[in-house]
Amino acid sequence: MEELILAAAPCDLSESAVCAPANVNELFEFRETVYFVFGLPITRTVFLIFLVAAFAIALFYFGLRKRSTQPGKFQLAIESLMTFVRDDIAIGIIGPTGIKYYPYLLSLLIFILIGNVFKITPFINLPVTARMAIPLFLALLTWVIFVFAGFKRNGFSYFLGIVWPPGVPAALKPLVGVIEFFSTFFVRPFSLAVRLFANLVAGHVMLTLLLTTAFVSFATIGEIGLVKGAFGFAWWALGLSIFMFEIIVIILQAYIFTLLSAVYINTSVNAEH
Amino acid sequence: MLTHVFAQVVLAQNAELILAQAEGGGGAAFLLPVPEELFAGIIAFSIVFFFVWKWAIPVLNKTLEARQAAIAGELETAESAKVEAESLLRDYRQQVAGAKDEASKILADARDAGEAVKGDIIARAEGEAQQIKSRASDEIAAERERAVAGLRRQVADLSLVVAAKVVESTLDADTQRDLVDRYIDELGGVK
Repeated sequence: MEELILAAAPCDLSESAVCAPANVNELFEFRETVYFVFGLPITRTVFLIFLVAAFAIALFYFGLRKRSTQPGKFQLAIESLMTFVRDDIAIGIIGPTGIKYYPYLLSLLIFILIGNVFKITPFINLPVTARMAIPLFLALLTWVIFVFAGFKRNGFSYFLGIVWPPGVPAALKPLVGVIEFFSTFFVRPFSLAVRLFANLVAGHVMLTLLLTTAFVSFATIGEIGLVKGAFGFAWWALGLSIFMFEIIVIILQAYIFTLLSAVYINTSVNAEH
Repeated sequence: MLTHVFAQVVLAQNAELILAQAEGGGGAAFLLPVPEELFAGIIAFSIVFFFVWKWAIPVLNKTLEARQAAIAGELETAESAKVEAESLLRDYRQQVAGAKDEASKILADARDAGEAVKGDIIARAEGEAQQIKSRASDEIAAERERAVAGLRRQVADLSLVVAAKVVESTLDADTQRDLVDRYIDELGGVK
C-alpha cells in the first residue's frame, strides 16, 4: 500500500492502513528543508509558493506571446481575465484612478487563484493560501496600499474622516470613530487574511477527511466486512461532491479577496464619498 | 492493530480527533506565518507583480491597440467597399435602364426596318409581277403578230397555189367564186 498522506510522519504500513497525522497542522506543514537557495530553506511549501509564481508568469506569457489580433481561445481567456480585472474591478470599483492599482489587483487575483487551485491539483493537493504566511502578507500589502493611498490623496483628513466621521451625530462620533478606527486599521487586514485562510483550510481538511476515510474503508474491507466497507463509497461520493464545491470556493475566494482590496482602496482614495 | 488504526481514523470520527489534537498541540502554530514561507511569498508575489506590471499589461495594451486599429481599418475598408458597391450598383442600374431603352429602340428600329423591307419587297414583287405580266402580254402580242405573219405567208402561199391551180385549169365563174369564198372562210377561221 502506497503512502497516502504525505503530511504524516512515516509509519509501519504493514500494521496501519494509513499514516494518520498527529494533528491538523501536519496536513499543511512541510518544514523539512529539501535544499537551500541563497540561504533560503526550500521546503515543499516554499517550492509550491515559487511554483505559483512560475505558473502565473507562464499563464500570462503563453496567453499573450502571440499578440494575435485574432486571438485563440487561450489568449481570449487571458485577455478576458485581464480586462475583467481592469474594467470591472480596478476602474469599476475605484473609478478612473483605479487604473493605477490594476497591476496590483491583477497580480493579486492570479496569485491567489493559482495558489487556491493547488488544492485540487493532482500530485500537489496543497493550497499555498492555506498557509497563513500568504494570506497575511497579501492582506497586509493591501492594508499598506490603501492606508498609504488614503493619506497621499486626502492627507490627514483621511485619518480624521475615520476617527471623527462626518455625518454622524456628535454624541456618537467618539464611539463610531473608535469602531471605524479598529475596523479600518485592524479588522480589515485581519478579516481579509482569515477569510481566505479559513476557507482554504476548511476545504482542505474536509477533502482530506472524506477521501481518507473512503480510502481506509476500501483498504480494510477485508477486516471490517463488506457492509461497513460499503460506507466508504458514500464518503468517497461525498468527497467528490465537495471537490466540485471546492472549485467554486477556489474561484470565489480569489475574487472576493481582490474585490475587497479594491473596495478598501476605493474607500481611501475616494474618502469623500 | 489495523483495526485499531481504522477505529482511530474512520469510526472514531477522525475530524474530532484531528481537531482535538489541533487544539491540544499545533493549533496556535498553525495560525502563525512561517518565516521562510512569508519570505518566499514576498519574493514570489513581487516577481508576479513585476512581470504583470512590466510585461503582461503593456503587451495586452499593445495587442488591444493593434486589434482596435485592425478593426478600425477593416471597418474603414468595409465602409469604402460599401460605398464602392453602392456606386457600382447605381452604375449597373443606370446601365440596365439604358440597356432597356436601347433594346426598346433597337426593337422599334428593327420593327420599322422590317416594315420598310417588307414594303420594299412587296413593291418590288409587285413591280416584278407587273413586269412579268407586261412581258407576257408583249410576248403574247409578238407571238400573235408572228402567227398572223405566218398565216399571211401561208395565205400568200396558198393564194399562189390557188392562182397556179386557177391558171392551170379553167375555172368557171361559180367555181372561182366558190373557191374564193371558201378561201376567205378559211382565212376567217384562221383569224
